[in-house]
Parts: sequence; structure tokens; C-alpha cells
Amino acid sequence: MFVQDLRNDFYRQLVGKRILIVVNYDIDAICASRILQALFKYDHMLYTVVPIMGVTGLKRAYGEHQGDVKFVVLVNCGGCVDIVELLQPAEDVTFFICDSHRPLDVCNIYSDRQVCILGDASLEENIPAFETIFYDSEGEEDDEEGESSDQEQQNNDSGAGESDQEDQAPRGHKLSRLERHEQRILKQRARRQWESERDRIMFEYTQFSYYGRSAALLVFELAWKLSKDNMDLLWWAIVGITEQLLLGKIESGSYTLELEQIQSHVSRLTNKTNDQNTMSASKICFENDLHLVLYRHWPVTESMRYSRYASCQLKLWTLRGEKRLHELLLEMGLPLVHARQTYGAMDLVLRKEFYSMVERLAEKYDIPDIVYGTFTLSYGYRSRYAAADYVYALLAIMESVKKHKTPEDCFLEASDALSRQHKHLLSAGIDQAKLLHAAVFRQVQSSLEARQVHSAGSFFYYVLQEEHAFFSYPYALGLLARFLLRGHVATSRARQAPDLPLIASCPLDAAQGMCLLVGIAPVREDSPRNFFGKAFEQAAQKSGVALLQDFFEPAVVQLRQSDLTRFLDALTVLLT
Amino acid sequence: MSGQTKLFGDKAFDLLKELERSSQTIPAFDDDGVRQVLEEIKAIFEENVAQASSYNASGDRSLWPLLNFRHAALQRNKRCLLAYLYERCKRIKALRWEFGPIIPGDIKQSLCEPEVHFFNNYSKSLAAYMCSAGYNQGLPIDLTNNLRPPKSLYIEVRCMEDYGKFELDDGEVIHLKKNSQHYLPRAQVESLVRQGILHHIA
Repeated sequence: MFVQDLRNDFYRQLVGKRILIVVNYDIDAICASRILQALFKYDHMLYTVVPIMGVTGLKRAYGEHQGDVKFVVLVNCGGCVDIVELLQPAEDVTFFICDSHRPLDVCNIYSDRQVCILGDASLEENIPAFETIFYDSEGEEDDEEGESSDQEQQNNDSGAGESDQEDQAPRGHKLSRLERHEQRILKQRARRQWESERDRIMFEYTQFSYYGRSAALLVFELAWKLSKDNMDLLWWAIVGITEQLLLGKIESGSYTLELEQIQSHVSRLTNKTNDQNTMSASKICFENDLHLVLYRHWPVTESMRYSRYASCQLKLWTLRGEKRLHELLLEMGLPLVHARQTYGAMDLVLRKEFYSMVERLAEKYDIPDIVYGTFTLSYGYRSRYAAADYVYALLAIMESVKKHKTPEDCFLEASDALSRQHKHLLSAGIDQAKLLHAAVFRQVQSSLEARQVHSAGSFFYYVLQEEHAFFSYPYALGLLARFLLRGHVATSRARQAPDLPLIASCPLDAAQGMCLLVGIAPVREDSPRNFFGKAFEQAAQKSGVALLQDFFEPAVVQLRQSDLTRFLDALTVLLT
Repeated sequence: MSGQTKLFGDKAFDLLKELERSSQTIPAFDDDGVRQVLEEIKAIFEENVAQASSYNASGDRSLWPLLNFRHAALQRNKRCLLAYLYERCKRIKALRWEFGPIIPGDIKQSLCEPEVHFFNNYSKSLAAYMCSAGYNQGLPIDLTNNLRPPKSLYIEVRCMEDYGKFELDDGEVIHLKKNSQHYLPRAQVESLVRQGILHHIA
């Protein structure tokens, strides 16, 4: 069931109740849950936040709190699985799902009370109609009843029946029996037809996995309608949607549309808060920015090299690329001394002109898409962050799992880093993000030089042989795979290269022999559609490989290291 | 003799410095130091008595300043000792407010016998006062709650270890598990926060 009027049908329902918030491991979810928490705090509602990773985590978290809570809010998780079947909840438990993963499970959509999906039904694409996928089981029962009564009748007939019926009944019976038989066959055929039609519809519906609106933005709009929005909440919403942009979960077109709406929120809130004190006031500005990783906190050369877009267009991992970068810097008029030191220490004049210098030369150096619209947050005298800086820093924090640091710790740290009081966490995160991006670049460079990206005809694959401190986590592996695919396409001569997807795999845990598999959509594909979720599932069925599709991202799966070759073979057969 | 007079009061001062500098809630009672100071006081006093009696006999006024000086040193030692004891008493009182009527074992070790006695007495009088303070309502008021006026009725807490189920006054059962985050009434979870099971997020 879709809930469109969030204020009345979602928030008002929850006021005064105790709520369990289950949050998936992604930045959009963290932002959304922070906004929700802020709202619940205003109304003194007791809540419990539990971070989860994957379907098993969801089951465990619900199992622990079962019986104590009647209202569960699922943030960026659970939309794509049949919640009622998975969790077997009691009758009086209500689930509210705020999930940006698509396609949504049809059972959730057509649940009449227990499962409520926050969002606008009209925005969802081609949801199959109810009649086409659910068979009216009552009709079937009637049919069976008819049959059984038919048999009863037969028994009656063969037994001592009444005399006046005895003459007519057998004849009519014979006729109707034949007819019934025919009818039954017809019905069965219709049923079969309907079933194959349903399978086709369901396949078409679930074939591609993609993403809907950012959950953080959705929740922020609720806050706005409740007149409880403020700068912080808005900033979290912006971080949420920027994550979608940077991880390729949103088309650039719809991003631009959302930008306009956010801009109006920004100007409204800026006018409302007239905090003149520079130290405490926070300011969000819209500006055109560059797709360069963390360039405000890094030397310009480094940032250029480690950014996916610029690096792949200029092929910065090669010697020629390096020359081209110097050429670009020369033409920009940026002295190497300045380009090699931290951006913050660069000459003020150069810093002010940096954006326009890059923009001017973007066309010439074939990097036109480097400019994009985004927001920056500034507070105090020194702190100035772009939304992308936040996203990269939080990503790095979330992936910084170590021996003494469980994934949950990382999640909570990332959630803390969002608030302005914990600036040190954020700057530590930025430092980690630098390491991560440098590692990604080095890996890409060495892999491309060693030609480790192989083609399987209809897709590329790349297998990391050893466990890696960075790439054993889904997001980092995704970053690496995306960089690698772009880099490979940029260097490859094959004409169809931009149309081919990539599968990257990295060992997860040497002891258990599991590995992580990530599927990345082709470079030319602009929409965030990814068919690997379904493809992985089918390939696993065909090859009989046990696949662990535990993550809520369907294109990220785990399987046994030893099964990998068999699985890839099956996938090759499936996709050709 | 001159070497010793230079050190008058040093030991007592060290005692205080140690107490102030220690990072523990309450350092172990410095039996040895206190005894040494007491001995010093005793020694000074005896010297003074001896000289005073000789003055009585001879009437030699030239020793007056020395006598006065020794007396001042003695007074100072006494003040230092009292300050030491008073500071410890203050900390022990604070302990009662922070940890409740039972002293944690590791802290108990650093108290001396009379101090434990003092703590128990203090605890008793506080309890008696709390009973009388809430007499009108028929319920004793726990004054050790809310040492500072709370900003809000609810606080956001993070669970640091697996605690299990926790029931609130209104019957809601909260499952406290490591790494989950909760928003709960302050009054009811404050003790858990003090025990370190929950961590208050600012």
C-alpha cells in the first residue's frame, strides 16, 4: 500500500507510539534516519535505531524487538522483499517502508494494511496490475467446492436416490460431466496461460534493479510539511541525494529536477533564519562545482588524478596522461608549486579563479561533464564542505572496518560525523577517503597495465585474487569496479566496449572462502538500471551455485570462491 | 638543625599536592605521609616545649622569634592536614551522590576505616533527609537523580553492551543491545548511563 500523505497517514499514526527504526548501511539511509530521529525527538516519541546489513540482519533485528514494538520504520531496506512472508509479523504490527531501492516487491505494494510504502504511487513505473499477478484464490475454492459437491451428488445418485430424479439425473449428469471436464481443461489452460503471462510480467518488472527517490529527501519533505525543517535537516537531505548522484543511483536529469526543489528550500530557510553570528550560523549555497574528489582538501594534481571522470578522460595513469595534465595546468595558469600543495594553502587569487579556469578549458580537454550543480555548507570561519566531501568521507568511515571496530561501530561513527559538533570525525573521514581513492587509483593503474580486465564476450570481468584491506567491502569494490570499467573503456579499442558491463570480484574472508561479487552497468547506460540482480539469480539457478543475495543491493552478492568459475561460465551462457 | 627547619611543612604540602594531582576519583589514603606530618608536628612541639621551659628558667628573650616561627610552622602543618582530610571528605560525599549508597570495590580499597565509617553515616543521614523531603507525597524523593537540571525529559543514548530487556515505568519493554540507539526518558535510564551500559549522545 502506498502512503502519499506522509503527514496524516504516516507521521500522525506514529505520534506517541514507540517506534523501531531499522536502517540499512548506506548514506542515504543514515541521512533519512537522522532526519526521522530529529522529528521524533521534537514530539518526544520513544524510538530505537538499529543498523542492519542485509536481509539476515533485518530478520535478526526484527526478531529481537518482536513483541515490544508495534510500528516499524524500514529505511532503505525491505522494499524489495516480501516483508510479511520474511518476518512473519503479528497482526497488529505495522511496517512503514521508506526505500529507494526498486523494483518494490508486489506483495508489499498490494498489502492492504500491514505494509505501507512511503511515496507516491504515480511516480512508480509500470507496476503490474493486481489482476495480472494475483489469482483470485476464492474463485478456485468455489471451483473445488463445485467439484466436491459434484462428487457428493454422484454418491447420492449411486445410493438410494429419489425416484423422479432418477430418470433425468443420469442423462443430465453425463452431459454436464463431459462439459465440466471440458470446462476444467479450458480453465486449466487459461490458468496456465495466465501463469506464463504472470511470469513474463513479473520478469519484466523485476528484470532491472534501479533506484527511486532519495529516502532522505522524502523524509525531509515530511519535515517541511510538518514545519519542523531547519538547515541541518536540509543539509542531511542534500547529502542523501548527493550520495545517489555520486554512486550512480540517479539519472542526471532527475537530479537536476530535484536540485531546483532543493534550491527553493535553501532560499526559504536562509531567509527564515537570520542568525548573524558567523561562528554559529550555517549557510548552504548552491553553486556549480567540479567533479573532483575532495579537491578542497587535497592538492589539485592529486584530486584530478584520483577522480574517476577526469582521470579516465585524460587517462592519467599513463605517462601521456601525466603530460596532458601538466599541459592543462599550464594552460590554466596554475603553477605546479601551487598545484602540488593542499588546496587550502594555495594562493587566494588562484583559489578564487580555480573553478572558472577549469570550466573554461573543460571543452578543450574533453572533460565537459566535470561541472555539476551542488551545494556547499559553510559554518564558522574555516569549515566549508561540499556535499560530495561529506559523502566521500562518510563512505570511507563506513568501510573502515577493522579488527576492533565492528561494522556497527562504523555505522554509528558515520552517523555521528553528520552532525556539526563532531567535526573531527568528519575530517578523519576525509583523510580515510583520500587513502581509499588513492588505493582505488593505484589498483586501477596496475590492473590496466597488467591487463587484468578480461572479456567474456557479453561482459567484462575482473577478479581480485587476494583479500584487500579496502576492496573487501561492497561500496569500495563498487567504486573500484566503476573506475576500472571506465578506465578500461577509455583505453580499449573495441567498439562495443562502452556497451559492456563489468563484474568485479574480491575475496571476502580467506577462512571461509567467500568472495564478493559486484555487477556494474555499462558506461553508456545513463540510467541507473542494473540487470545483474536478476541475472545473478538465474545464473546461480542454472549452475547450481549457492548464492548469498543478502545485501539490499541486488547487484552485490556473495558466493564461494571455488564456485566462481562455474558461476561466471553460467553467466556467460546466460548473457550471450 | 638548620637543614631540618628548611623542610618544615614540606611534607604536609606534598601530601596536598599529591591529592590534588591524582587523576583517580579518590587516591588511596596516604597513611605514611599523614603519620610523618604528625611526627613532625610532635617533634616541633617537643622542641618548643623544651625551649619554653628553658626560657622560663633563664628568661632569655633571644629565643622568642624562633619559638614563634616554630609555632607558625606547627599551625601550618595542622592546617594542611585538616585540608587534606576535608578534601577527602568532600570527595567521599561526592561519591555518595555519584555512585549511590554502595561504594564500588576498587574505590573502597583506597578509603581508610574512619572514612568508610563517615561515608556510611553520611549515606544514612542523606537517606533520612530524602525520606523526610518527600514526606508530603508519601514517597521518598531520590535527590541523587538529576544532579544538574535536565534540559529535556528524554535523552538519546547508545547502547555500549548487550543488556537485555529493560522495562520502563509505563510498561514498554526496550531491548537494549550493543550498538543500537535509543531515545528514552532521562529519569529511568540515568542509572544505566552512570553504569556505563548506555552512552549519552550529546
